Amino acid sequence: MECCEARDHLAELARNRLEPDLADAVRAHAAGCVGCADALRVEAALHALIRERAPRYAAPPALRARVQAALRKSEVPISSGWRAWLSLHPWMGTGLAGALVALIAVWVGTTWLAADPVARLVSRALDEHVEYAREAMHRPAPNPVDLLATLRSQAGFALGPLFPGDAEVQLISTKTAELRSKPAVALVYRNGPERYATLLLMPGADATIPAEDRLPIESFKPYHRVASGKQVLYWKQNDLACLMVSDLDGPATAALFLKIRKAA
Amino acid sequence: MDDPLSQLPAEALTHLDGLYNLARWLVRDPAEAEDLVQETYLRALKGSHQFQVGTNLRAWLFQILRNTFFTQYRKQGREPEAVDPEVLDTMATRLGAAGPPSGASNGTLSVDLRAALQQLPEDYRAVVLLADVEDFTMTEVADIMGCPVGTVKSRLFRARAILQELLRDYVR
Repeated sequence: MECCEARDHLAELARNRLEPDLADAVRAHAAGCVGCADALRVEAALHALIRERAPRYAAPPALRARVQAALRKSEVPISSGWRAWLSLHPWMGTGLAGALVALIAVWVGTTWLAADPVARLVSRALDEHVEYAREAMHRPAPNPVDLLATLRSQAGFALGPLFPGDAEVQLISTKTAELRSKPAVALVYRNGPERYATLLLMPGADATIPAEDRLPIESFKPYHRVASGKQVLYWKQNDLACLMVSDLDGPATAALFLKIRKAA
Repeated sequence: MDDPLSQLPAEALTHLDGLYNLARWLVRDPAEAEDLVQETYLRALKGSHQFQVGTNLRAWLFQILRNTFFTQYRKQGREPEAVDPEVLDTMATRLGAAGPPSGASNGTLSVDLRAALQQLPEDYRAVVLLADVEDFTMTEVADIMGCPVGTVKSRLFRARAILQELLRDYVR
């Protein structure tokens, strides 16, 4: 067997999908060919890595409910009573129960968002944080003075003094954004190799910080929540509303908050 | 169940997460991904008479999603990324010479994996996701992508070369 023929089968061999005779032939070739043996090892390793560790997105409950509704509309019209119809389509009992659960989940979710004005902000900030952290992952730390100067020129509103980072915390990137249909800016800090925090600033004259769920940090009491495993702090400083989403643990988040708060 | 219309909903819904996952990797924006998946199911319902009971419903749904994605791109005047094999060969070579992007060795695996997959051209990313995450055979991937099996293997092979360099901290 030649190398080109062997490599044509490596992907299926790594998945144990080759006929036994062909699999033996490819293995025999790889046993005497360093290049093909290495290609087979890489194929198997990458296949396992991606299959087991690649991030997977689950369909949101609202989408599931919409699709279920669309599928239900396609069903045979119910002419002889729903009990008889269900007896002919027993799987739909489970499907309807699932749809009901999904609808309740959507209703609870939207009610929670409507009742809690900070929830929508936090939800959006979490999405932004994940995206910013991903982008910042492969970025070397630039000059923070240049970053902040550029951000001030783009922000469209006064930012006041900002924490530029220090020996422990690096300012990795800044962005202009939009939250609550208003202009905002984001500052992404890195504290250690796998830990990021996103600080979102927006004009905050009309912002209301919830009175409950306050976390005392020295003389300050920002609003505090843990959402999707992230620490979230929300507070006002000067005329800005400030929202920080952090991968750090509680004490490190509090320490970063103090640096940001005291810089202002 | 002899009528495909009555069979489609029962099994089709079990593939929702997989379809949405691929949609997110293709269009990235969550709202667009939801629209793409919803449109996929609507098209599947409209074309359910074309589906043959006993054949691969899952691959058929993924094929519809893939075709819908292409159609919507064309409608919006946004052509999918052109894939030039020579450019990709030099990309893998260049990555090999330059090393992984700065910070890759410091990142979490899932973040590095996500970044590496996002760097692949769209056609290559789709093949990798279908073959590795969804565990389709090469023949099924070819059917879904609407191309010969040889093309699928070639894309997978080239994608591997790029991923090997981007993920060299994890694949030694």
